[in-house]
Amino acid sequence: MKTIDDFLVLLQDDLGLPVTRTDVGAGFDQVPGWDSVHLLSLLTLLERTTGRSLPLADALEADSLEEIYRLAVAA
Amino acid sequence: MADPRTPAPAASPGPTLLDLHRAGRLAQEYPRVPALLAGLDDAGLTRAGQLLARLDADDVLALHPATPTMNVAVTGHGTLAPLLAPLTAELARHGLLLRPHLSDFDSYVFDLADPGSDLYRTEPDLVLCVLDPQVVFDSVPVPWTCDDVERLACEKTETVAGLSAACAATSKATLVLNTLPLPRRFTAQLVDHRSRARLGVVWREANNRLLRLTETHPDVVVLDLDPLVAEGHAASEPRLSLYTKAHLSAALLARYAREVGHLARQRAGRTKKALAVDLDGTLWGGILGEDGADGIEAAGGYRGEAHRAFQRVVKQLGAQGVLLTAVSKNDPEPVREVLRHHPDMTLRDDDFVRVVANWRPKHDNLTELAASLNLSVDSFVFVDDSPYECGLVRHELPSVAVVPVNEEPALHIEALLRDGWFDTRELTREDLTRVAKYRDELVRKDFLDSFDSLEEYLRQLQVRVRLSEAGTADVARVSQMTLRTNQFNQTTRRLQPAEVGALLADPAAQVLVVGSADRFGDNGTVGAVFTRRDGSTLHIDNFLLSCRVFSRGIEQAVLAAVLRRARARGVTETLAAYRATPKNAKVKDFYPRNGFARVSGDDAAAVYRHRMTDLPAVPGHVRLTDSNGDGDDNS
Repeated sequence: MKTIDDFLVLLQDDLGLPVTRTDVGAGFDQVPGWDSVHLLSLLTLLERTTGRSLPLADALEADSLEEIYRLAVAA
Repeated sequence: MADPRTPAPAASPGPTLLDLHRAGRLAQEYPRVPALLAGLDDAGLTRAGQLLARLDADDVLALHPATPTMNVAVTGHGTLAPLLAPLTAELARHGLLLRPHLSDFDSYVFDLADPGSDLYRTEPDLVLCVLDPQVVFDSVPVPWTCDDVERLACEKTETVAGLSAACAATSKATLVLNTLPLPRRFTAQLVDHRSRARLGVVWREANNRLLRLTETHPDVVVLDLDPLVAEGHAASEPRLSLYTKAHLSAALLARYAREVGHLARQRAGRTKKALAVDLDGTLWGGILGEDGADGIEAAGGYRGEAHRAFQRVVKQLGAQGVLLTAVSKNDPEPVREVLRHHPDMTLRDDDFVRVVANWRPKHDNLTELAASLNLSVDSFVFVDDSPYECGLVRHELPSVAVVPVNEEPALHIEALLRDGWFDTRELTREDLTRVAKYRDELVRKDFLDSFDSLEEYLRQLQVRVRLSEAGTADVARVSQMTLRTNQFNQTTRRLQPAEVGALLADPAAQVLVVGSADRFGDNGTVGAVFTRRDGSTLHIDNFLLSCRVFSRGIEQAVLAAVLRRARARGVTETLAAYRATPKNAKVKDFYPRNGFARVSGDDAAAVYRHRMTDLPAVPGHVRLTDSNGDGDDNS
């Protein structure tokens, strides 16, 4: 996963979320179909995809998908 | 083995699950899902679960009302939402649509203790009460000792025992519990080995108490997580456990979901009954046709020992009622010779109900094999080392469970047992002798072929039928028959053991068990009739008979005896129910052919009435024993 578009594909195809580029920057309450349950699946998936550990406490405190993306590529 | 000159079947040309998801057509195309999931690896199945879990079960049902569903309530101690996606996928593999009810965090005590809880209101088929080590360790003081753990573990397991009783009293669901893994981050907090050993003892005693609940609670299943952890799935992920209270790892929950999938499959009456194994490369190493009987590897040497170990496992399954068959591209004579006389073979020809060795396509052989055993082909599990054969069978017979093995025979056992295709709640006496009975059946077929007329055959067969009231010793077998029997099953009402027990205790209800025998041997308990008395009316709620024995007058004899009993006890009309399923069409005319007239319903579900004046006779070739006894063992 290198770009935000890769991240978007992961959300759509691996988590099945109907999200767009705009949703990624929005707060979680604005993301269609978002549920806190998805956060756990997403974090597990990101670690598996990137092969690196995420700072989970930070990721759990993130306000948007974009913030999580930034943590994932920075990790 | 595959013929190397034959090209492998092309990859399935249709869309993948992801294609359907992207096109927004998953609900519309839902009936294709089981085939799309077959053959996915763990990662593929995880992803599929995420996509399928987004579907609303009601949307799928609106489009495909006949989809079998399973109501599953998920409760427990920790955060269990990550279980839903793998559970959705595992049930979908078996053609079952999950209708989940996820309880609030750590609400299992309230959920199960309160008969009015939301959990019970969903009328679950399965209740998953997922327990984790924090059930105990959340409550220990700091510092803690083994005594603390022992005391708390006793309290918790006693609570769980009480909840099991409450669940049985409130619901018809199967309650699924699990043992508690013991992660090292607890044992290692004790610095002395003596205490660590004692913690191990205390912990295992708690798990033993959980496992023993199955001895006293027929509706409880306890999944032992130790073997799953031993496979290499971490029990927990420390960060998610601490941050989100997801105390069991996603990998372990996925593996747990697979076990639950097979429980659901069994509960839905879809247990596999027969195992068809390939020979060259699967049961033994080498190719019989090329290497000769002396060249195959079935014992000794690296590969030989691996094949021998695999044969031992296959034999072990056969000893528990799984019908073993072999389907091989070979000439029949050398195969027979190996199975009879090869010194290294563990499996012998009499371990198999049938061995098919020819050069025809395996899917044709499987279809014929199923017909000759009076089974549906979807009762088969097929194991082969050739990707070509596996692909072809999967393509031609999507309802057959295909287990691909490869050129590494030491992994054949893991491949075969990875899924609990033959999992059942309890073995019965019938299971232990099933193979011999099916073999007898094939001898009967040969005997039939030697007669000019069916009447003459039936007369020579010397059929004996025993009818008696079911007793407690029959409960497991009667439940099993309701779950396994698909063809001669008038209403296909599946009953768990506790539900059969409840019928035995109900004074208005009567469960009759049917035993049969003939010149070739005893068939054991082969059928059951469920009746209910209401004033001078007798209701036949269900009548089922094993596919091994129908069409030889047994069903007519039983019906005649049931009506004769009823009339002697003042019954003036008998109402019998029929409910169509995809598999029981052959019995839809059974009641009208035997003097009943339809009073309501249609081809899908009907009620038939017999006015009890002109009762059908027991066929002349059948000797019937109708015992009015107390339901002692009848087989």
